[in-house]
Amino acid sequence: MKKTIRRGYLVNTAVLVAVYILCVVLANVFSEVSNFKLILTPSIWQCCYLIILAASLNLVLGFMGQLSLGHCGFMAIGAYTAALISLAFQRAGVYDEKSGIVFVLILFLCVICAGVLAAMFGVLVGIPALRLKGDYLAIITLGFGLIIVNVINNLPFAGQNGLAEGVASSSLYQNGLGFGTTAKVTYLWVALAVTIICVALMFMFIRSKYGRAVRAIRDDEIAASAAGINTGYYKVLTFAFSAFFAGIAGALYACSNSTLSTASFSFTNGSILNSTFVVVMVVLGGMGSLTGSIVSAVIMFVLNYQIANGSWVSSLPGFIQGVFTYPMLVYAIVLVIIIMFRPKGIFGTYEFSLLRTPGEFVRWIKGLGGKKKAKPEGKEAAAQ
Amino acid sequence: MKKKLLALLLALCMVFVLAACGSETDSDAETSGGDSGEASGDTIKIGMIGPQTGSNAAYGTSMLEGLQMTIDEINEAGGILGRQVELIATDDRGDATEAQNAFNNLISQGVTLIIGSATSGATSALTNLANEEGVVLITPSATADDITTEDDYVFRACFKDTLQGSIAAAYVEQAGITRVGTIACSADPYSSGLVNAFISACQERGIEVVEQQSTATMDAQDFTNQFTAMASADVDLVYAIYYYNAVGPFLVTQARAAGYDGIIMGADGYDGALDYVSEGADYSAFNDVIYTNHYDPSDTSAAVQDYVTAYSELYGTTPLCFAALASDCMMMLQTAIETAGTDEASAVRDALSDTSVTYEGVTGTFTLDESGTPIKGAAVISFAYDESVGGLDGLGTELVTTISSDEIA
Amino acid sequence: MGEFLQTLFVGLRLGSVYALIALGYTMVYGIIRLINFAHGDFIMVGGYTLIFTVPLMTAAGMPAWMAVIIAILVCALVGVGVELIAYRPVRKKGTNMTALITAIAMSLFLENLAQAIPAIGPNPMVAGTFFESGGFRVAGVTLDYTTIYTIAVSAVVMLLLYVFTQKTKMGRAMRCVSEDKSAAILMGISVNKTVLTTFAIGSGLAAVAALMYIAQYPSVYTTIGSLLGLKAFVAAVVGGIGIVPGAMLGGLVIGLVESFSTAYISSSLTDTFVFLILIIVLLIKPAGILGKNVGEKV
Repeated sequence: MKKTIRRGYLVNTAVLVAVYILCVVLANVFSEVSNFKLILTPSIWQCCYLIILAASLNLVLGFMGQLSLGHCGFMAIGAYTAALISLAFQRAGVYDEKSGIVFVLILFLCVICAGVLAAMFGVLVGIPALRLKGDYLAIITLGFGLIIVNVINNLPFAGQNGLAEGVASSSLYQNGLGFGTTAKVTYLWVALAVTIICVALMFMFIRSKYGRAVRAIRDDEIAASAAGINTGYYKVLTFAFSAFFAGIAGALYACSNSTLSTASFSFTNGSILNSTFVVVMVVLGGMGSLTGSIVSAVIMFVLNYQIANGSWVSSLPGFIQGVFTYPMLVYAIVLVIIIMFRPKGIFGTYEFSLLRTPGEFVRWIKGLGGKKKAKPEGKEAAAQ
Repeated sequence: MKKKLLALLLALCMVFVLAACGSETDSDAETSGGDSGEASGDTIKIGMIGPQTGSNAAYGTSMLEGLQMTIDEINEAGGILGRQVELIATDDRGDATEAQNAFNNLISQGVTLIIGSATSGATSALTNLANEEGVVLITPSATADDITTEDDYVFRACFKDTLQGSIAAAYVEQAGITRVGTIACSADPYSSGLVNAFISACQERGIEVVEQQSTATMDAQDFTNQFTAMASADVDLVYAIYYYNAVGPFLVTQARAAGYDGIIMGADGYDGALDYVSEGADYSAFNDVIYTNHYDPSDTSAAVQDYVTAYSELYGTTPLCFAALASDCMMMLQTAIETAGTDEASAVRDALSDTSVTYEGVTGTFTLDESGTPIKGAAVISFAYDESVGGLDGLGTELVTTISSDEIA
Repeated sequence: MGEFLQTLFVGLRLGSVYALIALGYTMVYGIIRLINFAHGDFIMVGGYTLIFTVPLMTAAGMPAWMAVIIAILVCALVGVGVELIAYRPVRKKGTNMTALITAIAMSLFLENLAQAIPAIGPNPMVAGTFFESGGFRVAGVTLDYTTIYTIAVSAVVMLLLYVFTQKTKMGRAMRCVSEDKSAAILMGISVNKTVLTTFAIGSGLAAVAALMYIAQYPSVYTTIGSLLGLKAFVAAVVGGIGIVPGAMLGGLVIGLVESFSTAYISSSLTDTFVFLILIIVLLIKPAGILGKNVGEKV
């Protein structure tokens, strides 16, 4: 193993662990503050699943260059799987209170199962769908997304009270996970740990030989297959990998919502959690930049939250306030403006790196004061 | 270089905004209703959560309109316990997560009495939170059975699915009909919940459910095939649960065109359908269309007439049931606060939990059961076309019968 | 027999509307290779224009359906506006993908803008009747006149479009642009003007589709275009996108699939069957029923 690579692993792992510990410590310190409990914790939960969701779509959209418009379908599979498995354990009497080591084990089991089932469906959808590309793929994935939701609506065990007491319905009112406000604080570490592990895995994936192969396919599929890359295999693999993480995001969603409804996973709906807005997050952050997806997921969440709930909205002039009562209108305008002026997204293909970014940042600060000699943009893209 | 500058700026913005969202508490939310002239510390804060935008916006906006009107009336009459009422309205866009965010935000502003949300999906996401935080939640129109349970902080002003389903089945039995069919939308909890309740009530009463049909979405435009199946199954009554926006424009006319001549029965979602009948359509198709409703809008009782007149003067339309139910939620809160003598949540909850209190609202006179759901009878209303008047004006409603809650026990 | 005929007629009724909408999609896609997600919302614009202008028309003593002329103008204007403000600048800079996302953004924008306009609001609006009710009776089942009109209008529009793209100078320019943009420029064709004309025609067609749609289902709401547009787009893809007769065929196929699956298989899984048909067609014949497979050049 090369020295720099080993140093990279060490530094990255150390920093991730440090960040995680810091977050958990902070969470414990502030756990009694009411705003932390009521506002910040649910926000972090929502950010966590949005980050995983956006980053996982970026694997397909940004790194493989294939537009998928049904990503939330996989999230729905994950969410329902996690909710129903945990409910089965609860009904079987394995756990009663949402605490204790048994519950934590079941929680992680649900998360893994959600991911695995979603990945299986990812393979199922991917094999036929990835024979097509571009706009056709977009439409076919959109179709799959709608089919998944339509089928869940008609599953008798996934509606109303769930399992044996269920009736086919679009709402599942019972959920074995479904944390309340206090439990969300207690299990905040789960959300953070799962998110950090998922993001780290995705970073590792795109930097492995698989990631390089996938990017080669994006840049030129024919050249890639001429160079001996089995394009079909890699495409389905990436698709399944992406679906796996979408399923995990779904499990986190099931944790933060006491009930599930298929309307939350549709193509468009009232919130920012839908197949359209995941694409928006990826494009906004930069296709081919996991850093971008993470940042833009958080930006979209904060923007959405603030427009809906921020007190500063009422101090705006009347006209803008009027526009802000229609948040989707604002997002549409923001999206068009970003695409017009920055079609590559905020980060382009830039990736944050603990080893490089601090140095680059220092140089950039120095550069601000001194001569304005821009570094060629392609270099950093090539350097990752 | 510019790229990084932008990235940095955005990151900074984000940090500031996050910091802001963590720290602010004191000021009011975006819409503060009522003419709250007094100091805000002395008002009773009522939160409202409902879809103001998005595909369910029609429900939320009429909720807000009804609520606003009632609160203005209360304030003009001197408020509750001599204190003015302040409405803080939020928008959940019909989504469970947004509803939770709005809910938490209301609590962090010190609101402990909340009215909302419009649909079962969004409301069910709030019930656990309300119990955990000790906040009174009254929903005007979430009908799913499990929304209210015993010994909790959640109440409602509407029927629950099982009750309305049994009322419909009781009517069917009274009318001597033995063969029925159902049409539901599997993607909508209101529609599928009510139809499931109706089916099980029918089975108890020995009414045969011969044919069950469904649609994939609530926005379905064509019901012809479903009603053709009903006609060939030779049923006498079809229980089809959709909203006014489908019933008025095309559901009924399509049913008749498909050769189905029997009774079409609906629920409170049919209320207001006559405002959505297409001009020049076959109006006589609306004969034999009946529905169960909380109240009869043509009822001559003072409460209903005053409300309908006041509402249409203010907003220029007849109130949907969402508006009337939201007003009743406010009335329930008012009564409870006055009984408790305080607006503190746990005291209000205890007052609401008292099952002996009779509420007289727009949607009828009722008491609450142990779980916090109204025990009320229903009016069975029929659309009727008067050919001697002709045209759209000839369409009206008439009361068929009222079914009291005793009859369904 | 009667039930079968009824199902067939329902399929035709739905299919004829899908076909008309699909024509607009196919027109735009054929020229600039962009799935115009906002097309469904042009139908919403057309629908509301019709609702607001029909009283003017009847007051002027003209038949109600004449309002479609104003609707066509309004829709064409909106279409051209969207192209000028959003699509063109993005097309210059971005990729196919960004153009598609702009289309989604415009769709969101139009839907929510409509809801924010006080005269429209969130409640649906109801249109009056446009054509006389009744129809032909076959074996006891009625095929309404409106359905027949819709099919006739689709056929006429299809023929006109076909003649237009094959015979006129502008039509040839369109085909040229779709085949090779840079070669078209070399031939002295103004690409921008051609694309603009395409958008005007495509959006105008949305107004015609809106008329026939609300003649069948007289209710307009702000999100009317989302699922309708999606299914119509599926129809265009099934028939072979970019091919004018393909849109008509695809529309009818999707309408019939929807109707027959409702009647004979499962009425709540209709959407699943519609999209399954799409998936099957795409897998067997990726270019659609009438499309020709063109190998990719290396």
